[in-house]
Amino acid sequence: MSAATYLDYAATTPVDVRVVARMTECLTVDGVFGNPGSTSHEFGERASSLVERARAQVATAVGAAASEVVWTSGATEADNLAIFGIANYYRAQGRHLVTAKTEHKAVLDPCRELERRGWRVSYIVPDRDGRIAPQAVAAALQPDTVLVSIMHVNNETGVVQDIPAIAAVCARHGGSRLHVDAAQSVGKCAVDFEGWGVDLLSLSAHKAYGPKGVGALLVSQRRGVHLEALQFGGGQERNLRSGTLPTHQLVGMGAAFELATADSAAAGELSRIERLQERLWQGLAALGGVLRNGAAEFAVPHVLNVSFEGVEGESLLAAVRPEIAVSTGSACASASSEASYVLRSLGRDEQLAQSSLRFSLGRYTTGADVERAVTVLSTAVTRLRRVAGLSR
Amino acid sequence: MNYNDWTWRYFEAAPGAGELAPGPGVTRGAAGSRQRGTWIQFDLAWRLGSGPASILSARFLAFACPHTIAVAAWVAERAAGRGADPTLPEPLAAIAERFAVPTPKLGRLLVVEDAWAAAVAGA
Repeated sequence: MSAATYLDYAATTPVDVRVVARMTECLTVDGVFGNPGSTSHEFGERASSLVERARAQVATAVGAAASEVVWTSGATEADNLAIFGIANYYRAQGRHLVTAKTEHKAVLDPCRELERRGWRVSYIVPDRDGRIAPQAVAAALQPDTVLVSIMHVNNETGVVQDIPAIAAVCARHGGSRLHVDAAQSVGKCAVDFEGWGVDLLSLSAHKAYGPKGVGALLVSQRRGVHLEALQFGGGQERNLRSGTLPTHQLVGMGAAFELATADSAAAGELSRIERLQERLWQGLAALGGVLRNGAAEFAVPHVLNVSFEGVEGESLLAAVRPEIAVSTGSACASASSEASYVLRSLGRDEQLAQSSLRFSLGRYTTGADVERAVTVLSTAVTRLRRVAGLSR
Repeated sequence: MNYNDWTWRYFEAAPGAGELAPGPGVTRGAAGSRQRGTWIQFDLAWRLGSGPASILSARFLAFACPHTIAVAAWVAERAAGRGADPTLPEPLAAIAERFAVPTPKLGRLLVVEDAWAAAVAGA
């Protein structure tokens, strides 16, 4: 076990032990190991029953019907299925998509691939708070737009987009479906698939104390959304995603989502995280020259992204790395580290984007962890500013 | 990114970080830019007399990656007793090997060298 304090829950979360217990019931000869597609016998039927229970748990957690859940290997696959699936199915209607510059690569890279194949993509620039104005979406829509893809909670800044308002814009357009990447949302803020009027929604288990390697794409039946499958070979998941269903993974995701959204627990956890984040922010802000990326009033409390003036990014990460695990604002800590395109889109200059850190708090973060982070950062930033001749 | 022992030691301790008070016998040279991610400054205190000038002590400032900070600190540490030599204590290739500087970062060592040469040029 590392001696470092883990503050990178937006990257991934440990699997909750209660989830692990459910998953391990689906693996061995004494458990529910059958193929959920083999319903000709009891082993398969029992597995199928657990899969359908998990499907209902996931659907309930995000305000959807169980029949709208299509299992995938994660949010990246869900994003790919949504974007390519819609583009291919509706290609006779139009070849234009709308997304934002601050989307995850799992959305941006499929969009760029579609551009290579002849589609046109409009990339919306957020305001300085990190928000996508619904009017900006409306302005980007064209008569042949077939899809708008906007994430709910940004993975770098935690900023939450006004999905219902954006959905209303798409509804007025009539021809464009709305896909929402909600990989970071579950357990951090409410998700209401049906209430929002969204057509497609991507989910991930491992951001919510479930296992890696499983996610889901919600496809609205009520809104009559159609997709072209990307994967063939068995016809599982309404022919949208063939392949033997991994019972233990799905059970894990269902259990994790149920735990994450249990009303009383979720409310208490949210206020606990809010207090921790406020303490972290106050502790860091006391250093001076610390800028918050993304407006706090629009962000989930689990994510705090800050830039440190007068500090070189790689050195900052190197200085804190032995003691706290956080993400950096540069794509990698290599020789040619590229500043975060998300922060650059928010108007941060190259240097401030590069000298940013993302702190993401979670279920196992304690007050002591936050105090340690404040101490470690204060020491590192003060030292590096002194070495740079920029002491305050 | 992983750093070798030399880089860690000199990055963490940064011996010689700081400035010398301006005055007779003190020269200063800098290179690079903070905005571009690498900036180095050396201050050198010189022994003044009838013979060839020699360095009494050195200080440095660095806004840079760990490799570059480490190299600047090492150069400053080895300065005392050197003459007005604009080259670094070892060839750049040897320094790069000593600190396991990745190839794409070798240009940053030139910034260290330029800062050193600028400081020495003022002697």
